[in-house]
Amino acid sequence: MTSRLTYRLFTGVFAAATVYTFSLAPAFAADESMKKAPDPAQIARGAKAWPYVCNRCHVLRDPKEINDEDWTVSVTHMRIRANIPGQLARDIAAFLRASN
Amino acid sequence: MRQTSKYEKKFGRVILALAAVVSIAVAYYPHPTRAEDNVRARVDQLQRELKDVQLKLKNRETRARSADKKAPAQDESLVKWHLSGYAVANFVATDAADQHDTFSGAQFSPIFHFQYGDLVLFEAEPELAIEDSQETSLELEYAMIHLMLHDSFTLGAGKFLSPVGQFQERLHPAWINKLPDMPAGFSHHGGIQPASDIGVQARGGIPVGGMTATYVVALGNGPQIGDEGFTQEGFGADNNDNKAVSGRIGFLPVPYFEIGASFEYARVQGWESDNGPATNANFTLWGVDAAFTRGPWDVRFEYLNGKLGSHYGRAEEADTDGSLIPKTDWEAWYVQAAYQLSGFTNTRIVRNFEPVVRYGQFTGDGFDEFVEAREYRWNIGLNYHFAPSVIAKGSVEWRDMKAPGAGDETRYLLQLAYGF
Repeated sequence: MTSRLTYRLFTGVFAAATVYTFSLAPAFAADESMKKAPDPAQIARGAKAWPYVCNRCHVLRDPKEINDEDWTVSVTHMRIRANIPGQLARDIAAFLRASN
Repeated sequence: MRQTSKYEKKFGRVILALAAVVSIAVAYYPHPTRAEDNVRARVDQLQRELKDVQLKLKNRETRARSADKKAPAQDESLVKWHLSGYAVANFVATDAADQHDTFSGAQFSPIFHFQYGDLVLFEAEPELAIEDSQETSLELEYAMIHLMLHDSFTLGAGKFLSPVGQFQERLHPAWINKLPDMPAGFSHHGGIQPASDIGVQARGGIPVGGMTATYVVALGNGPQIGDEGFTQEGFGADNNDNKAVSGRIGFLPVPYFEIGASFEYARVQGWESDNGPATNANFTLWGVDAAFTRGPWDVRFEYLNGKLGSHYGRAEEADTDGSLIPKTDWEAWYVQAAYQLSGFTNTRIVRNFEPVVRYGQFTGDGFDEFVEAREYRWNIGLNYHFAPSVIAKGSVEWRDMKAPGAGDETRYLLQLAYGF
């Protein structure tokens, strides 16, 4: 039946994606950029990406609007909602934290 | 009287001379005891000063350690949370004979975000709004737990906004939507745009050289046919064993231009009916979208095409026994352009304005109740940004209604929205 095929297909995709994922970077890493001194190169990458990536959906918000912790969580929300690659999201978050 | 001898006189002179010499020596050279006293005094002073410096250094080290202990709570804690959301208020003036000018849409939508490290994000948005009556409605727009297992792979579970197209998932919040209302055919009620579903999804963005590819694939309970007809909002329980599959792939060849394609497939449970057994209907939906967002420009296009097979359901209000509902096809699309005047002027106040124009169509063929909202619609609007996420909108809307007997309508829409 179509539903069983759908289940099998979806389960297969999930299983393959999960195996591939766990074979790569560790899953529980915290955002290391929050612990270390700001990396100028990361901030520069974030500054370059911010006007394009964050302008895809809404008007650019002033980095000074919210604090470091709020930017960290807000950018994570945007990363998921707009399907932003993880490293790019961390670069943008580092830029916003350095700019507020 | 005895006379002093010559030797006694000489001896006395020698003694006196020695005494004089010793006196001169003592007077000329510091007394050894006095120098030691001075040295001792200086050493004592230096010791006191050294102790003072050591004490100050110790105090500063203590304060520095205390500051270090406070800093991790802000920057290094694994658990972080953030409250955001938006609020909106509307006014609508209309020339429709059966409607009145009205203040409406008082709505409050807080969004809760809880993050654990770089692994988990839980997000939820309840929505409180005033109904046409005086009652307040409370709905859960979405509530998702996301596991960020890789930079390009996030697994989510819960109630989610439909990933079909761009508008529902990313553009519908009032402070982001460039006009006070949704495009024709894209609303939750009477439109073809799926609103939400409950299930699981996988999503992410993949860097491809200097470009980006995005994907979302979701599995959920799917739409259902009930008393209100065909409904595409998340149901907490499925009424059949078939699950809806939906998703979108997107591509950004350059950061400010995005194209995408979406799909949804579901089997929808019909009603048991005295006129025959329940029939399940296939529901298929596909769509394309594009967006150009460079600098002050915001230009968008979305197209949806849906088909629902024939099934038993409620044909009208009094129909409790169920009737055969014919196959229904829909199309909905819009094109929209907005331009922030800050792109060509820095004049105070003027630069905060943003003209916008939208044209859209919602058409359909099949069951009349499913297509009674068909229309062609023009919107011309002007927005003012008090701040990036505080926006006042004004729009004139011309609605060319296509359902038989439906009259055309002109509306004047005002809206104040705040995204926090």
